[in-house]
Amino acid sequence: MSTIALDRLPPDVASHPPLVSELDDRRGTAAMWLFILTEAALFILLFFSYFYLAEGGWRWPMEEPPKLHLAIPMLVVLWISSGVLHWGEKQVKARRYSRGRAGLAVTILLGLIFLVMQAFEYREHLRTLSPQTNVYGSIFYTITTFHAAHLILGLLMLLYVLFLPRYEPVDRPPHRPFHNAALYWHFVDFVWVWIIAFLYIAPNTR
Amino acid sequence: MSTAIEERLTNLWETPHTLYGWFATVDHKQIGKRYLVTAMAFLIAGGLEALVMRLQLAKANQNLLSPEVYNQIFTMHAVTMIFWYASPILSGFAVYFIPLMIGARDMAYPRLNAFTYWSFLFSGLFLYGSVLVGQSPHGGWFAYVPFTSKTYSPGLGMDFYALALIFLTISTEGGAINFIVTIFRLRAPGMTVSKMPLFLYSTLTISCAIILALPSLTVACVFLELDRQWGFHFFDVAGGGAPLLWQQLFWIFGHPWVYVVFLPATGMISMLIPVFSRRPIVGYPYVALSTVLTGLVGFGVWVHHMFAVGMSQMGMSFFSAASMTISIFSAVQVFAWLATVWTGRPIPTASFKFAMGFIALLVIGGLNGIVTAVIPVDWQVHDTYFVVSHLHYVLVGANMFPVFAAFYYWLPKITGRMLDERVGTWSFWIMFIGMNVTFFPMHLLGIEGMTRRIYTFPSGLGWDSLNLISTIGAFVLAVGILLSVLNFFASLSGGRLAGRNPWKADTLEWSTDSPPAPYGSVHIPTVVSRHPLWDDHDEEEDPGDARVLDQGRLTLASTSLDAEPLALARMPEDSLWPFLFNLAMTLFFVALVIKWLWLALAGVIAMLVFNAFWLWPKPIKRPA
Repeated sequence: MSTIALDRLPPDVASHPPLVSELDDRRGTAAMWLFILTEAALFILLFFSYFYLAEGGWRWPMEEPPKLHLAIPMLVVLWISSGVLHWGEKQVKARRYSRGRAGLAVTILLGLIFLVMQAFEYREHLRTLSPQTNVYGSIFYTITTFHAAHLILGLLMLLYVLFLPRYEPVDRPPHRPFHNAALYWHFVDFVWVWIIAFLYIAPNTR
Repeated sequence: MSTAIEERLTNLWETPHTLYGWFATVDHKQIGKRYLVTAMAFLIAGGLEALVMRLQLAKANQNLLSPEVYNQIFTMHAVTMIFWYASPILSGFAVYFIPLMIGARDMAYPRLNAFTYWSFLFSGLFLYGSVLVGQSPHGGWFAYVPFTSKTYSPGLGMDFYALALIFLTISTEGGAINFIVTIFRLRAPGMTVSKMPLFLYSTLTISCAIILALPSLTVACVFLELDRQWGFHFFDVAGGGAPLLWQQLFWIFGHPWVYVVFLPATGMISMLIPVFSRRPIVGYPYVALSTVLTGLVGFGVWVHHMFAVGMSQMGMSFFSAASMTISIFSAVQVFAWLATVWTGRPIPTASFKFAMGFIALLVIGGLNGIVTAVIPVDWQVHDTYFVVSHLHYVLVGANMFPVFAAFYYWLPKITGRMLDERVGTWSFWIMFIGMNVTFFPMHLLGIEGMTRRIYTFPSGLGWDSLNLISTIGAFVLAVGILLSVLNFFASLSGGRLAGRNPWKADTLEWSTDSPPAPYGSVHIPTVVSRHPLWDDHDEEEDPGDARVLDQGRLTLASTSLDAEPLALARMPEDSLWPFLFNLAMTLFFVALVIKWLWLALAGVIAMLVFNAFWLWPKPIKRPA
């Protein structure tokens, strides 16, 4: 937490210093955790719907499971991006701000690469399966598109942090923007792990 | 000295009385008042719809409404009452009073607070926009597929339903996050979790329930909209979909929601009954615990709405047992209230009478709820007026009566004027009688086989006189509500001045002026007991002015459990961006209804741009 800048205050206000001199910088993080919690509930319910619609067949769909040759590399791309972002956050904590910014830029680039790969993946898929084909297509594209939309939201958060003028702790909000945006990005990456497990790998295990 | 401080605090916290200030305010008191007024407006709208329905059903074979219009009106009535009145009115009390109860100067996220109000208002206006195009939703409040699919419900009605609810869930989620962090982060020093007013327990519980359960409604509505507008197959059997998925998703959300509109009302009752009984509540820890447990077990009962669809015996038994368990927690609360009154010296104010009326109605609504938790009985009365009666005893009895009790109790704090007690007592008795005359006959109608949601009925089935009685009751109830509304307007100019603590109550909100100053109290209070204003401790004792915090827009952040002072929390200035963001979001949802995708995209881009401005670092206003 940062200490509040009391020295710039007029003398009659500075004459009665407040009870504490630390400045609260954790409310943003608290909100981000709760936001992630409700988003997690959203994805859990999407997975619930997936298995409910599969009527117990956890290897659904039975014929022609989704191919892994793009999905697994996409997972790797996201893992690397999370690693890079974490490295960047450590740099910011060590007050090496330009390195932090560089880490952020690389993360955004990796996120964009993921989206491009997903576009290719969709093009391949759409030849045989569209959301309107059957209920499997509906739930498959809904879950993956929901994830992509959340990933884009995460990218926008990172982009916002990239353009912020200062990373030093200051007594004005936003506090800890790098940390909060990074939390969300790690969450989005984590969701992709479950998508890979449930929607891609499980149908291929036979 | 003290007036100089007050002046400086006022300068820091007051919203300018200009057009800009009106749209940009983030003051929780302004926003709380707006919540209350808007939700009351929705109550009146929903009430008028109910009266029209009762006119249609007053006699057999009436032609006042066509079947389609009747379906639209009962759906709008239900959706309005459940989503745009019952929960927002409680949010209104919470937004206005929670910061005052915990001695904070605002909510944890004041701009988010403004945002959730505007999205509550705009989503409601969006829903009522469907009336203007003559295509309101008509599938009941739980909108079962396949009836609500494109094939059987063409037109825009159900699209308005799905999109308006998605819109509202955004508002409600934001509010829940705000309440949780406010309660865990901004409590006055010394207000440990074991000394919190009970209203905070109920608001915390339902906020957690909202965080975990509301996404289910979002998912269900997204699926419905994709099925209807974009040819997806979630609920379409021909495409491999499952209509029951809608019911599962809807009730995973739906039953916790029942507690969302019920628990905060019990929290308010747990605060005002002790005040009017002149003693602390009996069994504070048990009441707090049963509140939390109700919220928890409330997640395990959703299937009891679906006993009639055909499921495994084992599954149904589990959900039946869980449903009955909940009644234990409610019983704990009811007995705690009764014991408080029994061992206290009750003062029969209008507010107290509403609270007593609530207990009576809750017991009736709870008992006939237990009856419907018994599976064979449920099969008999499912989809009949017995269920209509049950849910109205619970919703009107356990939401509207506590809300009126709370109005008579807390409005003097908001307006600074007392309401007339005699008119209040008349209003209570008329409402209580009207309520029972309306809904008690519906039990009998249900047992005699009158199904719900029929727009008319033939004579000679033995339903005629009961329906007529019910209609008369509905108008009596409306007169009772009208009396209280008139009482309120009369009090604004002619009411006796309330002063700080007209009821000699125990909680912190009564230590501020009526109406409270923009900054709440001059010194952030400290607390040493559950009843700050009844003990000997002076809450505002602060010789060094260390808790004035006039160094900027500041309030005190404290630890979550023990409320030890931790840090100064910087509060944002007034901002127009929450309002503008909501205009863009409204544009987005309107574009989705008419499927103008480019316009929707423009709405999204506008939202993102406004949000970037909203969050951009700003210079900080220093005290003058």
